[in-house]
Amino acid sequence: MFLAALIACAISGILILIRIILGRTTFDRVLAVNSLGTIIVIGIALHGFYTNRPEFLDIAIVYALINFIGTVAVLKLFSTGSLGEQRK
Amino acid sequence: MNENPILRISTKILFAPIILFGLYVQFHGDFGPGGGFQAGVIVASAFILYSIVFGVDEGKKLFPSNINLFLLALGGLLYGGVGIASMLLGEEFLSYNILGSSPQSGQHIGILLIEFGVGLTVSNVMIALFNAFVSFKSGKNK
Repeated sequence: MFLAALIACAISGILILIRIILGRTTFDRVLAVNSLGTIIVIGIALHGFYTNRPEFLDIAIVYALINFIGTVAVLKLFSTGSLGEQRK
Repeated sequence: MNENPILRISTKILFAPIILFGLYVQFHGDFGPGGGFQAGVIVASAFILYSIVFGVDEGKKLFPSNINLFLLALGGLLYGGVGIASMLLGEEFLSYNILGSSPQSGQHIGILLIEFGVGLTVSNVMIALFNAFVSFKSGKNK
């Protein structure tokens, strides 16, 4: 069961990679990278249960966190041109 | 980013759980994946997220630069201090066995202190690097 879900994750990951490479606008690419991060989080969790090592969930949580922060950082860089300034 | 209430509120909600998770990775490092380096980066990511969403000035108000640099040096001092302490007790540099009453408890104390020093230094180095790169104005040195 976990193996089938892992294969499904791999296929959807490849589809999202095609979207990242083709992506028409920057925001398509940002959204696709975010979705790829979500797929990887699911993949890490499934791989942990597939190999009977549930402590992989910790890594999945960290990956989800970094994914969120990275997306916020990229969007802020594109919308304001700087990471640190507060837009008035 | 004053006009993004979702981002601001989700940052405020996420801030404490991120630091809690960093502490979990720090002190659970003997039994699961984790340790000082990873915990330091996770704790730093909370402050970096705050600085990204609210602006780096607010981030410096939350966590002033002088405390940042002080804690950065304190982590390295803690690491070196444990090594020097075991030297002063008559063993080699960083040999934990002498630190406790039995070798097991000595190793426990030693590794806990070392990992705490590593985590402190790594998190503060990450925050200091972020602050340094963000306050860098690209047009200034031309």
